[in-house]
Amino acid sequence: MIAIVDYGLGNLKSVYAAVKRLGFEAMVTRDHAALEQADKLILPGVGAFGDGMNNLAAFGLREVLSRMVIGEKKPILGICLGAQLFAGESFEFGRHKGLGWIPASVVRLPEQGLPVPHVGWNDLFQKKSSILFDGVEKEDLFYYVHSFYLRPDDSGIVFGESEYGVRFSAVIQQDNIYATQFHPEKSQLAGLKLLDNFLKKS
Amino acid sequence: MLRKRVITVLTFNDGVLFRTKVFQPDYRYTLNFVDAWSVDEIVVLDITRPGAGKKENFFSVVSDFAERCFVPLTAGGGVRDIEDFRKLLCLGADKVAINYQALNRPEFISEAARLFGSQCVLVSIDTRENGSGNYEVYSEFGTRPTGLDPVSWAKKAQELGAGEIMITSIEKDGSLEGYDNRLNRLVADAVDIPVIACGGAGKWQDFVDGFLIGKVQAGATTNIYHFTENSIKSAKQYLKKSGVEVRG
Repeated sequence: MIAIVDYGLGNLKSVYAAVKRLGFEAMVTRDHAALEQADKLILPGVGAFGDGMNNLAAFGLREVLSRMVIGEKKPILGICLGAQLFAGESFEFGRHKGLGWIPASVVRLPEQGLPVPHVGWNDLFQKKSSILFDGVEKEDLFYYVHSFYLRPDDSGIVFGESEYGVRFSAVIQQDNIYATQFHPEKSQLAGLKLLDNFLKKS
Repeated sequence: MLRKRVITVLTFNDGVLFRTKVFQPDYRYTLNFVDAWSVDEIVVLDITRPGAGKKENFFSVVSDFAERCFVPLTAGGGVRDIEDFRKLLCLGADKVAINYQALNRPEFISEAARLFGSQCVLVSIDTRENGSGNYEVYSEFGTRPTGLDPVSWAKKAQELGAGEIMITSIEKDGSLEGYDNRLNRLVADAVDIPVIACGGAGKWQDFVDGFLIGKVQAGATTNIYHFTENSIKSAKQYLKKSGVEVRG
């Protein structure tokens, strides 16, 4: 069973539809007991970092997710804001503390004559071999919608990058923790492939 | 590098795919988005006139698309308040297009952007040229002149929190003569957010001109002959040959 964590932000239905299409049982939930039953977790999200952390706290999800991900080492995939929440801190609208699961901070894309947010189809440069990339072609494009990105303290956990005025991390992997800045659920066949890899191989 | 986008706009009358020339419903276009299409984004618009149909019929269209197409989905038409906006997002839309109510009550743009993020808010602008080379924004399906100039309106929409502008030339709509690229360029140069050109594309070169002359980020088509999987693919091939970077 795959649990898609509902913390009140983002397009959960698309993630759910993609997981179902790939043939997996899934639930969209914030119920602690239901979450505990899940084999794998997906933390989606579109929105602001502060709101994301506030909502996780309001629903009492910080503790249950930390227990499952850090304690029990259950695989989790963070998407976009969901991925950024894994970081120690963010500088979006002030300074906020994150879940602190990966040594990284969340910083704003530089405005270098390019409109921010970065919205649209862009590259995924595969830097290191990952189970997520099995069957994903080097030229496959992914769909991004964001103004901030994850900047890890150690570049060793960056498996994929993209470029928009600056090179930035697009895929981060650390043990059982997987993070994509783009939206695999909105990236058509390539996105579904990557999601399928997480569901089958993580 | 960020690619230029090709967007399909589908209009629905009381939940039935509506074509400007042929009125028969045809649902084969709603199938196989994932497997066969290389369309980058889909916009579904409810063009049901007030009182002429049920909202639920359009809602089920949005829901159906959200389950079947794994590319970004924008929904709009008849969005009057935050609850309408939220409803479309809950049905699975990634963005919501607003037009009438943004003109009627511009602070609606800010309210939606604050609640759901600017990336969700697409402000759609319909314009006519007044004969002396000036453009004017029209409301209510192109029937009511507003006295606004599309460039200032687009800038104001951006300031208020719009994440994207879709600009439609009413004269060009359905003409297959190509986009109004003077209009597109005026708007694209005036704002920092992405601009989608809509209305008039009839051949692949029209997309190329929209990107290279109109300087838009995305070209939309409502032309039925652009809807099938092979046509979007061949459009992409043509664009690539013409030096426009698009997704394959």
